[in-house]
Amino acid sequence: MTDLAVPLKTDAEAPDRDPVVLAGLLSLPTLFLIVLCLIPLFLLVQLSFAHREDGGLWRAGLELTQYRQLMTPQFLKVALFSFTLALTTAVISVALAFPVAYFISRMKRRAQITWLVGLLSTLSLSEVLIVFAFQVLLSGSGGLVKTLVALGVMEQAHSLYPNFAAVMVCLVYLVLPYIILFLYPAMSQLDDDIPAAATTMGASPARAFLTVVAPMVKGPLLSAGLLVVIFTVGSYLTPLVLGRPQQWTVGILISNGAMTTGNLPLAAAQAVALVSLMVGLLGLVRLLSRAGSPAS
Amino acid sequence: MFGLEISKVTKAFGAHLAVDDVSLSIPQGEFVCFLGPSGCGKTTLMRMIAGLEQPGEGSIALNGRDITRQPANVRKFGMVFQSLALFPHLSVGENVAFSLRLQGQDARQRKARVDELLTLVRLPGMEKRAVSQLSGGQRQRVAIARALAQEPPIFLLDEPFSALDAKLREEMQIELRLLQKRLQITTILVTHDQREAMSMADSIAVMGDGKIQQYGSPLSIYRAPANTFVANFIGLSNLLPVEVLDHETVRFGANILKVAPMTQPTSARGLATLSIRPEDIQLTAANGAGDNTVSGRITFIRDMGSSVEVHLDCDGRDVLSVVQPRDWMGAGTGDIAHLRLPQNQCRVLAA
Repeated sequence: MTDLAVPLKTDAEAPDRDPVVLAGLLSLPTLFLIVLCLIPLFLLVQLSFAHREDGGLWRAGLELTQYRQLMTPQFLKVALFSFTLALTTAVISVALAFPVAYFISRMKRRAQITWLVGLLSTLSLSEVLIVFAFQVLLSGSGGLVKTLVALGVMEQAHSLYPNFAAVMVCLVYLVLPYIILFLYPAMSQLDDDIPAAATTMGASPARAFLTVVAPMVKGPLLSAGLLVVIFTVGSYLTPLVLGRPQQWTVGILISNGAMTTGNLPLAAAQAVALVSLMVGLLGLVRLLSRAGSPAS
Repeated sequence: MFGLEISKVTKAFGAHLAVDDVSLSIPQGEFVCFLGPSGCGKTTLMRMIAGLEQPGEGSIALNGRDITRQPANVRKFGMVFQSLALFPHLSVGENVAFSLRLQGQDARQRKARVDELLTLVRLPGMEKRAVSQLSGGQRQRVAIARALAQEPPIFLLDEPFSALDAKLREEMQIELRLLQKRLQITTILVTHDQREAMSMADSIAVMGDGKIQQYGSPLSIYRAPANTFVANFIGLSNLLPVEVLDHETVRFGANILKVAPMTQPTSARGLATLSIRPEDIQLTAANGAGDNTVSGRITFIRDMGSSVEVHLDCDGRDVLSVVQPRDWMGAGTGDIAHLRLPQNQCRVLAA
């Protein structure tokens, strides 16, 4: 935030150049936003109202056929599952990342840097690589299963996927570095004297955590959770590779609709529905957090 | 015994001994300062008193009862932290009422007590404010009120005024001292500012290297520092290497000087350090003046208006003399001056 504020302030000191420079700086990102985001979105919305014709073709129109088709139990079930999956991933990954980020922020400076660089480097792995690595790891002939059998934990070698748990574990693995890095600045700013002050006033460590620390980290944790939901609600590859059809998400449904069935307008309508649900969820969280925070 | 009794407390962090075999007894109702440079262990000692750190060895007792193993939330010694540690998500009133809420007091009792405390720290009617709306001095007062709300047996303050500007700091020091006298509460304040310690405390514990170097009233520490560390840390001292001739005679270069009689007999003819305060040295231009004089060449003069600081070179040693303007003889740099060192102000410390 402060990094952004500094150049803006210096611009204000040269008022005659200010609007030109600002327009120049913002024109490129604005162009990108329009060309790469708004125009495709408009085309998508238009497509979702189009009239479908055989052979993967469609004709421009304004009909609600596709949206009516969304109101089937099948689609609603998949949409509900997508959000359940995203929310579960959010809860698990934030619960795991919170203590990790806290302990990293309390380490010596050198150790902190080592950990952060290590976390950053895992982000260089592509999602595809990670998902297929999990497929190998969890397979019946994989090292993990063999070890479990050798230890006697598992009676007979069998594959640990496809199922819900495999999808979940892989998604958590994918988002965890992001969430730790996201929470780290907030944890660094948390003053250790604050829970200490609460204990000198008679609060037990647990009580100090609940009454003082929790309200202070609530905001960052909520934002982190929301970030995970946005990341994972449209997940495609992980459930496709590591899940059963019961674990398929809206993303897979859209892909199937467009590629296999050739029903592009329906796929577009499904995508629009997913985006609208997400926007609705964001609005709801914003509304709730505004109502919950004291006016200051 | 009434008061706080610290005996043989030791605390190590890894290989570093933060607090090394400290014993101290603080009578009920006294105002004590732990004074020392950063890293001397004063904050660690205070955190052990509060119960936020466990001593490695030794014990702490309050009014004769051992509390070494009692956790901080049972001791409930009110503490003001260096960072103040005000709860940002709570209002001023809620901050002050935090301990009262934990005690289970009802809203009416809490309100009455908060009003009383905010009046005490001269912030009446501010309970609805957010902490972020307050100035530095006001936050300080809120932190003090919050720590006093539970009527703690011991009141602890860890460098509470270090973030304030000089003028406000001085005001707060006076205010805190008056408050402490009024409430008759045993108070310990940690500081690295010797002026702060000298102006507020009944007793000062000067700490260095994890040990208490000297414990006594501010004036006794200033007048009779126990060692070179204390002499150097409290105020300015001229420290001169001398050779001890007998219990009240030393030799500094070619000069034989009479000094205050040494209490502990220093090993005869040993090397020692003579300590004298700059304001105790009398400067004259007259030649061959009387006993206990040393001559020196003036190297630098700083006229501060209210006093004159004169740096002299005596036998290759830099000596500082501070004189009142009316006693200032008006010499210039390079002149030879005579320094009279009054016998009772010359203290010999172990080398």
